[in-house]
Amino acid sequence: MSRITNDTVSRHLVSRRRLMQGAAATALAGPMLMSPARAQAKDTIVFALSSYPPSLRPWANTGTAAVTVKLQTMRGLLGYDAKGELRGELAESWKQDGTTAWVATLREGAKFHDGEPVNAEAVQKSFAMMADEKSSAYFRARVNALLDRIETPDARTVRFVMKQPSATWPYLLASPHMPIISPKSTEANPAGAGPYRITDMERGTRIDLEAFDGYYRKGKPATKKLRFIAYQDESLRVAALESGDVDISEYIPWQNMSAIEKNPNLTLDTLDGPFLYLVFNMQQGPFINAKLREAAAYAINRDDIVKAAFFGRGSPLAGLPFAKGTPYWNESGANHWSMNLEKARKALTEGGQPNGFKTTLLATSTYGMHKDAAEVVQQSLKPIGIEVTLAVPDWASRVNLGNRGQYEFSVNGTAGDFNDPDALTSQLAGGQTASYARSFGYSNPKVDELLDKGRAEFDVEKRKAIYRELETVALADAAFVGLAWRSQGYGLKKSGKGFKNLPGALTFFSGITLEDLAFG
Amino acid sequence: MAYLLRRLGVSLVLIWLVATLIFAVLRLIPGDPAEMLLSSGGVAPDPAAVAELRERLGLEKPMLEQYGAFLRGLARFDLGNSMQDDRPVMEEIVRRLPRTLELVIAATILSILIGLPLGVAAALRRGRPLDRALSTLSSFLMSVPVFVIGTLLVLVFAQKLRWVPAGGFTPFTTDPFTHLKILLMPAITIALGLSAVVFRMVRTTTLEMQSRDWVRTARAKGLPENQVIRKHVVRNALGPVLTVVGLHMGTLLGGTVLVEYVFNWPGLSGFLVRAVEQRDYPEVQGIVLVICALFVLLNLAVDLLYAVLDPRVRHG
Repeated sequence: MSRITNDTVSRHLVSRRRLMQGAAATALAGPMLMSPARAQAKDTIVFALSSYPPSLRPWANTGTAAVTVKLQTMRGLLGYDAKGELRGELAESWKQDGTTAWVATLREGAKFHDGEPVNAEAVQKSFAMMADEKSSAYFRARVNALLDRIETPDARTVRFVMKQPSATWPYLLASPHMPIISPKSTEANPAGAGPYRITDMERGTRIDLEAFDGYYRKGKPATKKLRFIAYQDESLRVAALESGDVDISEYIPWQNMSAIEKNPNLTLDTLDGPFLYLVFNMQQGPFINAKLREAAAYAINRDDIVKAAFFGRGSPLAGLPFAKGTPYWNESGANHWSMNLEKARKALTEGGQPNGFKTTLLATSTYGMHKDAAEVVQQSLKPIGIEVTLAVPDWASRVNLGNRGQYEFSVNGTAGDFNDPDALTSQLAGGQTASYARSFGYSNPKVDELLDKGRAEFDVEKRKAIYRELETVALADAAFVGLAWRSQGYGLKKSGKGFKNLPGALTFFSGITLEDLAFG
Repeated sequence: MAYLLRRLGVSLVLIWLVATLIFAVLRLIPGDPAEMLLSSGGVAPDPAAVAELRERLGLEKPMLEQYGAFLRGLARFDLGNSMQDDRPVMEEIVRRLPRTLELVIAATILSILIGLPLGVAAALRRGRPLDRALSTLSSFLMSVPVFVIGTLLVLVFAQKLRWVPAGGFTPFTTDPFTHLKILLMPAITIALGLSAVVFRMVRTTTLEMQSRDWVRTARAKGLPENQVIRKHVVRNALGPVLTVVGLHMGTLLGGTVLVEYVFNWPGLSGFLVRAVEQRDYPEVQGIVLVICALFVLLNLAVDLLYAVLDPRVRHG
């Protein structure tokens, strides 16, 4: 019997040489797998969304991704230009008519995707639908509180008669949550008048759009086709941008911003707009005591929050969220809660808890920035004796607990509805039903009065004085404790021209400028 | 026949139990679908709008009434409509299930193609450098989480080398080449871990088979060694390997979540995650039930096959 070793046998099966040959073949085949046509086809923009829109209902607020898509298919009476200034959309002009009315003149010849003309009747019907008690419109309560009736003297004129003077009504008309749809369409299947029409969509994956040839702004959109692809994983979203699979991406993660800036083929368009803040349960638990809220507010190291949660891409928010550069910003108010442990300890003593206390901070595991900020708050409060336990359920649970007031204090993040102090109504006004986004049970008639007064005042100087007073009262209440402004970034190929990240609170509405975007 | 009916009955009871359990659990955990639909991105929903939406979604009805409607729907193979966009859940599952199956099957085939020859090679060179190197590599691959492998693959092959897209999906019917190109990285990501399992199994069983009497006899008869290995060692070693691979395939059906997430592969697992995040009750119920039904049916098929092969099972 001849003895055959394992070595000789293995040559018949897998030899080292064959393995090497296989590896070499794979390596050589690699470049052949390269995509022959990358995303940058001239007639198509590929946009990376941070998530797939849960719904595209016209008046519901279902997040930034939905806003970006809806802005392509539907438009309201007003909108914003690249500088964040109001501009006409379906309305070519608008003006104040006395103190309690606004008049909008509609564009001539504008039409919806179903061919119906944009006229006063369509505007009236859309407002009736969003104000309906069965509507899920984001601004339903506010519209019903402000708007008395709509008059339509002719097909191109819409007169909004307000219940009270409202200087900020045009901002509501410009919100992406207030589009006008064809009177022949429904909320579930709306026909808007935006620059693009949806041609195909695959739920959870992509939405394809094509330019609407009847769009009222001639020559727009600048690019014929638009494809949205949802990338929930932020690393993959960045990889898709860096590899050229997509042309533009929203929500660039803070940790990737430097790499995008350094990439010679890409541009990062970033600015501070949204913010993080603390809300408190003011009906039970330690924070019913304003002095204890004040102690917490003074003890927080906001620079550390900016570093931990946003990789340094943001800035401390130690007052109310009045953006620097706006008429309502002032230095003392903006730095009111700057870290001061002496003041924090004094407030603790005045609050009857000189040695501190134990409490629980509600955040969420779904958004890393909320959890990171909560950890910094936990560490910041330790030196003054406040022992914080973190509760970090998923977002759905956190919203549920927040709306029911089942927490002691909580981290939240948002952006204003528009760039005006009146947008703080959502966070500060009393008389609203409980929401996780504002302190549970908070109500101060003086704050409500000043908010109403500011909204009713048209003179900027007088409004400045009103909001200064509001700032003083609200800071004393400490029902809203700012933590940090966060940077919001879009990344796009350098060859792209026309897209602009809108300033401040409008950053989430930047999708409106996609109609100008073209890749050369 | 009685056996078949009994097994079918047990399967139906199992599916009903899972349906009831998932129905109850979803409603017990915190989170409200209406709140989620109106609360994206940190916005405060209008409570009246939430109430109206709950009414429209049927969440205000008594629990028993909701449960009854759910079971009646199931009896008609109607899993209900998504709370997010009102489209039939079954339609979405039918679209996504084949993609997950495709990913799982592709990964399994790849893992066998990688693990089988390397396992045999390592066994035949037991204790030598190749065996030690491959064994170490397999330990490494088994312990590295799929999202790490996936992210690394994206970084190297999509971001740096740009050989393949970073992720996404193109239907096979639209562009077969791009479809396969996109499938490659997620399939490899799953396959690397699974191939390590296959490798270990093949190596162990090959070593075991080599010492068996029939192998010694085959060699004594003067059969060429390659035939001894192919016909008497590897073929006999494949049985346990296929059992393990089969078990893993079942697990992968619902376990490709991270891979589908990392590569944006629009399969069933990623769909389930989003459905849970949104508390979309009909979607979660539907997906869990379909996965469960597949398992139950597979088990039923295996049991029936056993019954055909072994009369003792039929009559026991």
